[in-house]
Amino acid sequence: MLTTTKQPIVGRAGEDDFDPCWDLLRQALIDVHEKNAGKLSFEQLYRASYKIVLRKKGELLYDRVKEFEEKWFRDHVMPPIEALLTKSLINITLVSMPNSTSTNERRQLGEKFLVGIRDSWVDHNTSMNMIADILMYLDRTYSTDNGRPSLWATTIGLFRDNILRAGLGGLVDELDQASVIFDVVNAVVMDLINLERDGDVIDRSLIRKIVNMLEMLYETNEEVQDERLYLTVFEPAYLANSRRYYQSECEKLLRNGDAAEWLRHTQRRLAEEQTRCETTISISTADKIAEVVQQELISAHLDEFLAMEGSGLRSMIDNDRLEDLAILYQLISRVDPKKEALKRTIQSRVRDLGLEIEQELKKTDFSVPQTAAAEGDEAAPDAPAKAQPLNQAAQQTAAAIKWVDDVLSLKDKFDNFHVNCFDEDIIIQSAVTRSFSEFINQFNRSSEYVSLFIDDNLKRGIRGKTEAEVDTVLDKAIVLVRYLTDRDMFERYYQKHLARRLLQGKSESHAAEKEMISRMKQEMGSHFTSKFEGMFKDMDLSRDLTNGYREHIRGLGQVEQHRVDLNISVLTTNSWPPEVMGRSAQEGTLGDCTMPPEIARLRESFYKYYLKDRSGRILTWVVTAGTAELKCMFPKVSGKETGPLSKDRRYELTVSTYGMIVLLLFNDLGPDEWLSFEEIQEKTNIPPQELSRTLASVSLAAKARVLLKNPMSKQVRPGDKFSYNASFVSKAIKIKAPIINTTSKVEGDEERKETEKKNDDTRKHIIDAAIVRIMKQRKTLSHANLVSEVITQLANRFKPDVSMVKVRIEDLLYREYLERDEDGTSYRYLA
Amino acid sequence: MTATIRKDELEAKIKEEKELIRSGELREENPLDTSPEFQEFLEACRRGDLRRCQELISSGVNINSKDQFDYTPLIIASLCGHYELVQLLLESGALADRGTWVGERTVYNALNDRIRNLLVSYDFSKSTDPLQEWASHLTALLGRKTPKTADLTVITSSGVTFDLHRFILSARSPYFYKKLVDAPETTTWRLPATIPVDSFTFVLRYLYLGDLPRDVVGPDSTSTEEEVFKGIDKLCKQLEIEKLWEAVLSANDRRLARQRYQDEVARAQRQVEETFRGTVLKHKMVVDTDKVDKIKWPHHNAMFADCILRADVEEDVEDGAVTTESTNGIGIPVGPHAVASDPAPAKKRKRSALYPVHKAFLIRSPYFETMFSSQFLEAQETEHLHIIKMDCVPEVLEMVLNFLYTEKADISLELALDLLYTSDMLLLDKLKTKAAQAISTLGSGSNVTVTVDKSKAKKENGNGKEEVEVEPINVYDVIRAAWDLNVQRLEDFVARYLADRLEDYIDEADFSELIQESALRLKARQETDTIELLDDIRYYLNERFRLRFEDAGVDDMLEQNDTELAQQYQREVPQDSKDGETDVAYAMGVAIDAAVKPKVGANSAGDVGQLTGEEEGAVQTLDGRWAEDELAADAINYQVLLDRIDAMLEKLKLDA
Repeated sequence: MLTTTKQPIVGRAGEDDFDPCWDLLRQALIDVHEKNAGKLSFEQLYRASYKIVLRKKGELLYDRVKEFEEKWFRDHVMPPIEALLTKSLINITLVSMPNSTSTNERRQLGEKFLVGIRDSWVDHNTSMNMIADILMYLDRTYSTDNGRPSLWATTIGLFRDNILRAGLGGLVDELDQASVIFDVVNAVVMDLINLERDGDVIDRSLIRKIVNMLEMLYETNEEVQDERLYLTVFEPAYLANSRRYYQSECEKLLRNGDAAEWLRHTQRRLAEEQTRCETTISISTADKIAEVVQQELISAHLDEFLAMEGSGLRSMIDNDRLEDLAILYQLISRVDPKKEALKRTIQSRVRDLGLEIEQELKKTDFSVPQTAAAEGDEAAPDAPAKAQPLNQAAQQTAAAIKWVDDVLSLKDKFDNFHVNCFDEDIIIQSAVTRSFSEFINQFNRSSEYVSLFIDDNLKRGIRGKTEAEVDTVLDKAIVLVRYLTDRDMFERYYQKHLARRLLQGKSESHAAEKEMISRMKQEMGSHFTSKFEGMFKDMDLSRDLTNGYREHIRGLGQVEQHRVDLNISVLTTNSWPPEVMGRSAQEGTLGDCTMPPEIARLRESFYKYYLKDRSGRILTWVVTAGTAELKCMFPKVSGKETGPLSKDRRYELTVSTYGMIVLLLFNDLGPDEWLSFEEIQEKTNIPPQELSRTLASVSLAAKARVLLKNPMSKQVRPGDKFSYNASFVSKAIKIKAPIINTTSKVEGDEERKETEKKNDDTRKHIIDAAIVRIMKQRKTLSHANLVSEVITQLANRFKPDVSMVKVRIEDLLYREYLERDEDGTSYRYLA
Repeated sequence: MTATIRKDELEAKIKEEKELIRSGELREENPLDTSPEFQEFLEACRRGDLRRCQELISSGVNINSKDQFDYTPLIIASLCGHYELVQLLLESGALADRGTWVGERTVYNALNDRIRNLLVSYDFSKSTDPLQEWASHLTALLGRKTPKTADLTVITSSGVTFDLHRFILSARSPYFYKKLVDAPETTTWRLPATIPVDSFTFVLRYLYLGDLPRDVVGPDSTSTEEEVFKGIDKLCKQLEIEKLWEAVLSANDRRLARQRYQDEVARAQRQVEETFRGTVLKHKMVVDTDKVDKIKWPHHNAMFADCILRADVEEDVEDGAVTTESTNGIGIPVGPHAVASDPAPAKKRKRSALYPVHKAFLIRSPYFETMFSSQFLEAQETEHLHIIKMDCVPEVLEMVLNFLYTEKADISLELALDLLYTSDMLLLDKLKTKAAQAISTLGSGSNVTVTVDKSKAKKENGNGKEEVEVEPINVYDVIRAAWDLNVQRLEDFVARYLADRLEDYIDEADFSELIQESALRLKARQETDTIELLDDIRYYLNERFRLRFEDAGVDDMLEQNDTELAQQYQREVPQDSKDGETDVAYAMGVAIDAAVKPKVGANSAGDVGQLTGEEEGAVQTLDGRWAEDELAADAINYQVLLDRIDAMLEKLKLDA
């Protein structure tokens, strides 16, 4: 056992150990500084320092090294730097004397100075690293335990204290005394960077080195992380300098007045600064300098640039300069996440363009036939060129389609921007949407036009199109519908148009109709489409009913001579527009109109059949809405041996129900017998207005002129006489008599007013209902709250007029549904 | 406390764990171990025998095994309340993860909150595999450029090169071993063109104990997965590393992969150790110190060494002051310095041991890392290997090297103090901790008893006590080392050690000196400042006696025992009485004086402990009186010791 005397450590051995160790170390320090370290043994030096520390002489060692380094620094490092600090250098950097030196001279002087600083720093840094290596144990134990900054920090800090913070000591009189070498370094670096910004080539790695130096030095020897000199001194100066630079640059750009140039320049500057941070100065500055550039080049004068005549935002939009817009968007998103400026301008531009469309519409004269033709329109198949009043309708249709097309193309334009330039930005999108809905709703016929557009498309527009194309058409339509606020108006129009399409069998595709409705349902909820769906249901039921009736007749075996094929539509009053139902109700039902006996019989028989299963129901015959298909035979005209008149001609003629009634009168008439307007009216009891329309349709249009009129004028007037046109010839077998209906396609101004009035009436009831519903629930509510609640509740049907709501409240007060509260500001519900 | 797992959740977990183990997929973390060594280990844990535990852990007993009653060493140690032992076990890798059966049980069983908190603080997140650091060092070597440690370049057909380490390759792959030993001058190895680079990268990661990527094919690789696997297969066969396939196959199951990885690391450790023994230790040379300079080792040698460490053999002759300070005048005086017991008969030649070593492992020490990264002599490229002198004896250097290469620390108590200094100088904190651990086993174990040893006389040796015969280390050296090197753990240890045997030390001049030193450690000490060491001693002294007092009711006892004595002494030495004190304290003060006097006498004449006379049922106290029973004796002893401390302070003119 090694037990006896082994005492492994001499903790308190001789004081005099210090000196030989220190001598050794001191010599090593000199060697290190003189770059002779290669021959030094790390092991020896470390051991020497370790021993000193272990002997509790760490403090002494620490102080000695510090003292040595300070002295070395004074004697060997400072002098060359001081030699570099010439008067002219300071003059061009700190005391700016413009034009006193050329750019090149300035750069050379500056770079020379920086090279001096850099070399000195590199040497110092290397030496200090090596010394810190040797004294690692000292730093790890003594310095940490005693709360002193590590020796490394202390020695490296010498550079800061003795060089960077050395005063310039009155080298130049103009300077205030506080200036230090650091200021010169900063100024030179800034100057070089500004030169580079102006397009010069500079020594980037040199600056990089200097920046590295500043990043390694701290304000104090404690080396607090965010007190690096780079952060505390250089960076603020750099940012301020850059700000000045970009301020003046921005002014220059403003003077040039070209927004496109500004955009590209700014974009380039931003990229440049980013690269500069990566290659020349520290990457940690990247965000801050970008901030400066953004503030100075973008935010500061954004509005001025946007408003620039000929190149500003407006011209970008109008000329579809996608690239510019994309850059603009990127820049603005950098400075303002809400993109207010861009949003505002775009919004107002959309509104203006929308109004322009309206203006355009007013200016365009659709009555010029070419225009109508140019619109590709047989919108009204009743020869628009001939009949003036009919032309009116065609014009309106054309206008509606043009308007819708324009709006859609405007929308396409902005959609394109949205995808390609604005990065599908949600803020911009909602702004654009708001503007669209604003100008669309400002236009008072938008609901009608949109409905007309859909009507037109469903009737003819989608003919021969693929499913996908139909889809896009429907999508567009829905997009427009979405913008509408007065949805009840739209509903009314759509109902009307749909009714006509259904009853007159003009709808091109049942599937497309259904699709349209299901989309609207998705968009606006089922209450909006319930009526439309009811209409479709009626049509389906009617088809079944008709078939059932046919079976029934066949079963009876009553094969009549003049067999009439009945196709009946039973309509539910509520689902269908009052124009279809209502008008007939007020102007005359079946009772007033005398039907030919065979028709009357048929009617009776159907009524009987209908009531078999549904007793108690009342059927009202809406003659105005019906059509009839007549198979007629024109016997050959004697005396004509050749030509079409020489044989019997059979045609299938489609006319309105009234038309049928009238034509049946002529069945029993000879070729040269005439019936006067009054006679016909008497026999049929058709209201005169309807009658004249009916007669016009079969006597005026050339292709369906089965009746001759005397005198031959373009108007049907009382007193005119009509006769069977024996020499009627047509190339087509199936002939459709133009139907001139009261429910014309587009309303005239008066009609529209009427529609609006009706709509307002309906609205009144809806508002009444809403008010009562709310009050029933709340019992008492202040006026303002009530109004706002009503508006919210009705928002997705229409946008109620506040004054109308007020009137309704008044009315309800009067009718004692509500009463005023004592204080007069709120209402109470009266049960 | 961390969130506790509900009982049912825990049970579910245990069941799941059991099933996995039964199916053979998962190895049990706490296998049953009925070997006699393990039984002994458990027994040592029960006793709190730090040293024995340390030895057994070093000898490789599985620290996480369990006995037939499902006890693990950690459970026993914490149940028995051996705080230091629990600490040792945890530091050596004992598992106490919450959420496992064993872990929860350990925490539940802990004797007191102190231990419980210790256990919880070593929860899963912290208790890392003790080899983790070692393994990640190896992995890091793969991409490491400075300092340069690589000595073999592998060239691939695509032009990618790998800088590798011959030592590691030959340790891990029999193929490389044969090849490189046969041709030590090899500096490049060419990867066959048929094998994709991805395959080789994968194999390398395996050899260097890196994580194996789940996708063997790199994102911008030109090879298909199949080709890569074929390449791996070929390399496996060529390099003779069949185990790699297991790694590939287990890569998808996290737990399996982890287990596989642990096995692999352990295997690698064995391999490295084997190679370490086969190269570094086997080729150790002992030469005359003055001939060291003449030794020239080429760079390419069969040991793959790129550096030589030199340690001077300790001479057990001569007076140390001359020998150690010999070569360059700044040797750290680790060697014998104090007066040797027997005079040297003759002056022998000085000898040095040289070890061929590998920078790749040396740089685990920041000292070497800095050395080889710096621009000093040792980092210069030279024709021959550098010989770097180490300031320790070869045995210590071997311990250091063993630790650096294999993470193992097999520390003999004799050298522990040397090792403490050396590892401090090399900035090896982990090894330093282990050395301190080893030192703190001093006095525990077989010779724990305090009072019995007292009877053994101390003879001519001035500063040694009875442990001079038993313990290889002087406790005064330990405390000074603790102060020098900032090892709080050892300071605590020494304080406890001294407190446990205070009666043996209190009267020594060295002890007073030590106390004085401790007092001086605090700069600009104020009157009211405490003496750290003394405070600690008092604390442990209190602990030593406290348990018994609490049970017995001290005051009663003191009064019973001492009142009449006090009166008696009061008469004899009235000048010692202090005003204003309670009767008891007063009496005790008197008793102390009485105690000191005979003690002083005893020191010259023989020893207090010599008084071995024993009356039936009575126990002799430190002041030589007879107490009624042990409890009473303890109470008196406690007071006696405290008062002797005061007396000593008085003498030293210190206040505390």
